[in-house]
Amino acid sequence: MDGDNPQIVISRVVDAPRELVYRAFTDPDHLAAWWGPIGNSIPREEMDFDVRPGGYQRWTEVFPAQPGLRVEVHIDLTDVADGELLDGVAHVTGQLPEGIEPHETRMRVEFHDEADGRTRLEIRQWLPGRVVGPADQGWNEAFSKLDTTLRNAHPVAVDIEV
Amino acid sequence: MSGSDQLSAVFSALADPTRRAILAELADRDATVTELTAPLPISMPAVSRHLKALERAGLISRTRSGKLRMSRIEAAPLREAAEWIERYRRFWDTSLTRLDAHLAAVQAVGRATDRTTHGPSTSDSPGKPHDKEN
Repeated sequence: MDGDNPQIVISRVVDAPRELVYRAFTDPDHLAAWWGPIGNSIPREEMDFDVRPGGYQRWTEVFPAQPGLRVEVHIDLTDVADGELLDGVAHVTGQLPEGIEPHETRMRVEFHDEADGRTRLEIRQWLPGRVVGPADQGWNEAFSKLDTTLRNAHPVAVDIEV
Repeated sequence: MSGSDQLSAVFSALADPTRRAILAELADRDATVTELTAPLPISMPAVSRHLKALERAGLISRTRSGKLRMSRIEAAPLREAAEWIERYRRFWDTSLTRLDAHLAAVQAVGRATDRTTHGPSTSDSPGKPHDKEN
């Protein structure tokens, strides 16, 4: 997957200092408070974090409204720079929502200082190779063109950055 | 074909760079096999095989007008593929909105603690800001 363009690119400024934002991603108590889709919760006793290059972050997401779901997320951290960068491969398994199969997805989060004590998050996500195929850069080239086609073909625009 | 199988067929078809090149051509205009083969370094039978794969995935339709057999791009399955990817974007958007709220709450507690203790900011202590109120 390395070297290929990510399928998802998100840039977002949050109103908090960089150290705190980094901690929100790397401290289990923080992460459990915000991570995941609406309605989930993350049992604290099932969280296991060892944040360093070669380390990991592991947790389970449960959904009180959907008792059958139990999403297990194991991130193998490949690259970590304290306060600046998290890069790793998330292995998503467990009892997943319908339509989502167990998969691996590389995620990279960069933390940058912005003016006035704010922080800019740069998020990249690479979708699972076995689902989107051996994604080379042609995938993205194709998608940028296809995106135009989709916009023209449907009144509802699909917002994918490539 | 179930939705999931259709998606697999679409992504599988898109996994080949030649097929993506063909789709990119068809995004501009309908074309015959001859027209599609011209810019590609492969034979016409090979392009025909790729067109069959794209047709199986529902990504193109083929019609005959007179002697010409035209291929046309079909956007609907592509849209489903795009929506599949879009799920991940929605995940991030939702999570980041919650992150905003969480950071605001943590900082509010940090400021309140500063005022009451006059000590150094305790916002460095790990999470669970609400515990301090108990």
